Amino acid sequence: MSSYFDFFCQNKENESREKSTQNEDRILGTCYSMCPKDEVKLREAERLVHVLEVWGSERRLVKSYSRSAADSNMAVPHLLRPYSVLTNTVQYLLLDVTRRMDVPEPVLYDFVNDRLRAVRQDITIQRLIPTQCVYLLEPMIRFYVYYGYVLSGHPLKDYDPVLNKKYLLECLKWYLSCCDSIAEDQGNIDELSGFFSGLQLNIRESKSKLVNDQVLLESLYILCNLDDLHPLYRYLKMTKDLKRQEKLQLSYEIAIANLQGNYVKVCRLSEKLCPLLYCALSTYLPKLQRRALNVMCQAYNNKRLTVPSSALVRWLCFSTERDAKSACSHYGLKVNEDAILFDRSEFKTDARLHIPVMQNITKKFGLSLIDIFTYETSK
Amino acid sequence: MSSTGSLNQYIQLIERMYRTSQGNFLARLLSLRDEHVGNRNLRSSDIATLVEGNCVAPLDEIVISHLLCVKSLYLRDFMEAFEHQSACVACVVKLLQNQKEVNWGLPVMYTVCLDLRLVAQKAEATYLQSNGKILEKAAESLLACFRVCAADNRSSDADTKRLGMLTLVNQLLKVYFRINKLHLCKPLIRAIDSSPFKDQFPLAQQITYRYFVGRKAMFDSDYRSADDYLSFAFHNCHRQSIKNKRLILTYLVPVKMLLGFMPSIQLLQKYDLMQFWDLVSAVKKGDLRGIDQVMEEHESFFISAGIYLIVEKLKITAYRNLFRKVYLAENSHQIEIASFQAALQLMGHDDVDADETQCIVANLIYDGKIKGYISYQHKKVVVSKQNAFPPLSSLY
Repeated sequence: MSSYFDFFCQNKENESREKSTQNEDRILGTCYSMCPKDEVKLREAERLVHVLEVWGSERRLVKSYSRSAADSNMAVPHLLRPYSVLTNTVQYLLLDVTRRMDVPEPVLYDFVNDRLRAVRQDITIQRLIPTQCVYLLEPMIRFYVYYGYVLSGHPLKDYDPVLNKKYLLECLKWYLSCCDSIAEDQGNIDELSGFFSGLQLNIRESKSKLVNDQVLLESLYILCNLDDLHPLYRYLKMTKDLKRQEKLQLSYEIAIANLQGNYVKVCRLSEKLCPLLYCALSTYLPKLQRRALNVMCQAYNNKRLTVPSSALVRWLCFSTERDAKSACSHYGLKVNEDAILFDRSEFKTDARLHIPVMQNITKKFGLSLIDIFTYETSK
Repeated sequence: MSSTGSLNQYIQLIERMYRTSQGNFLARLLSLRDEHVGNRNLRSSDIATLVEGNCVAPLDEIVISHLLCVKSLYLRDFMEAFEHQSACVACVVKLLQNQKEVNWGLPVMYTVCLDLRLVAQKAEATYLQSNGKILEKAAESLLACFRVCAADNRSSDADTKRLGMLTLVNQLLKVYFRINKLHLCKPLIRAIDSSPFKDQFPLAQQITYRYFVGRKAMFDSDYRSADDYLSFAFHNCHRQSIKNKRLILTYLVPVKMLLGFMPSIQLLQKYDLMQFWDLVSAVKKGDLRGIDQVMEEHESFFISAGIYLIVEKLKITAYRNLFRKVYLAENSHQIEIASFQAALQLMGHDDVDADETQCIVANLIYDGKIKGYISYQHKKVVVSKQNAFPPLSSLY
């Protein structure tokens, strides 16, 4: 599933085995633009320039993803971008390209996703060290979380949530494993945080805006995998300092409430989340709502008595009563004016997931898209 | 085997055991836990040259690496001892591969593999920065043995080396649990479960196997099978293996509690597991504050045993017990949501409101732990006239 991540792990093992040869083995890219010259020529000639690569009269091509095939040699220095160029590329993709309003969002997503995959490919081929990987992966994860929520209402032909989740998890696991090996190398967490803040200073000096926020990412790992216990085991084994972080504690609390089926508590706590964590939870919300409605069908099962839709709005984070009612009728329940009749024989367990109306995250939190890709939880 | 005498006598003894196919004796002569290890004659400064030419192949390589390992152990150089023991295992793998249609060599393999794991653990404890890498390497050597055994499908049932699979799998499971790589267990478990010798393996090995597989099932939230595996292990474990029984109970008790069976105080006392007793009484009483206290007090025990999240889940059982008390006290089939809410607040959920109380009740009804329904308009729970709170043990 997460092929790059596997490869990364393998490399790590090989390195420890043959420490002496690792430097000679590593390929260093020499392509100092976002797209290798060969590819620019080819794509211009074949008319394969994406609309998002055209800025007025200027063209800004970005290396596109291509599968490694048996006869093609990808490990060619002049086709690979070194770390500094990769950082600029990621920054350009997330902070500049995403501002384009002239194309529909799914098209924008497809474009950026494809170019980010190419970035990951370059990281893998050059075997960048963990401290560099985290800076490239962190913004990518934000991208997948944000668009995972924004696009979740789109039809399958425009956007595939399963693939998005796959990329998201690939990046997340890779990122976390980088954090672990950094922590391992550093030996203790105090040094680690000192190390990170040092790096952030460097980055700011070079006027870059991307950041690395481990607390946010650890929280995302929990909230993006609410049906899985393994992120929670990971949380429990963390150092005390990390565990005490407010964001992480809140995410853990939400996950435990969800484990106990306490949908009211999950929804209530979700109001305290920061934008990206809110996106992660909201992407899960349809599942939570379906399960909760199923539970209520058993618990409020009655031929006569009803539950007002206003209560559902309160309990399950529906944005409006209309939204709540449409979800109920989607799952086969009878809706009378402003009340829902829960009858357990009516509930359609096999119905497709009902996706509620999306909320505009930037408006809700009063943030720009750039803020979402760059904010830090500690501030 | 105290009569190993000089190095030559030791070699002759090994050769004789090998010629006469006496696997168990040969295993003892190559064990790191046998008396001969104390024999000074076997710790000469130049073992390799002394043995070479003096001993028939393929035994010579095995003997050399074994004696070198013994020497390193005396020098307390565990890393080097591990390297020699790995070499020893590799030689035994070759030996087994060449022994067609017989399996008398299996005891030798068991012994060198077990020793390898023990040496690896020792090295791991000495070189903390290795962080599981040494044990991972040990696992690779063990897997090489496993492959030889698993691939031996031409020999007759009595002589097949496949009979050795379970012992190796258990060694591997021990390693994987120690280095926390549980995802690697799956193919091993599949190999054993699909083996035709599944029930013919020695009981002791079966117990170890089920102990680990039960723990894995628990980890994956499959509590029914965890109960089956761990119960088998507990009931069949030798009554005098108190330490092992205690280990099994560490996992079996929480799993059983989740399934509605509370342990007796005598059992917990007998096996020195009183950490659970406070938990049991808190869950029985529906004392949520008490559960939180127990979790805080024994946090490191629960986390290191990997049962912390199960304890979180036990809160649901505590809710059920608490609500049952309210129901008995009210002595009515219609109970106000407010009564439940007050009980929750009294027991430690200070900030709970009517909405959340309803949600908790709703989940209990959904799980079948309460029979009845909620009326939103009347703010009441109407419970069944018969068996409103069925015993938990009847639900699974």
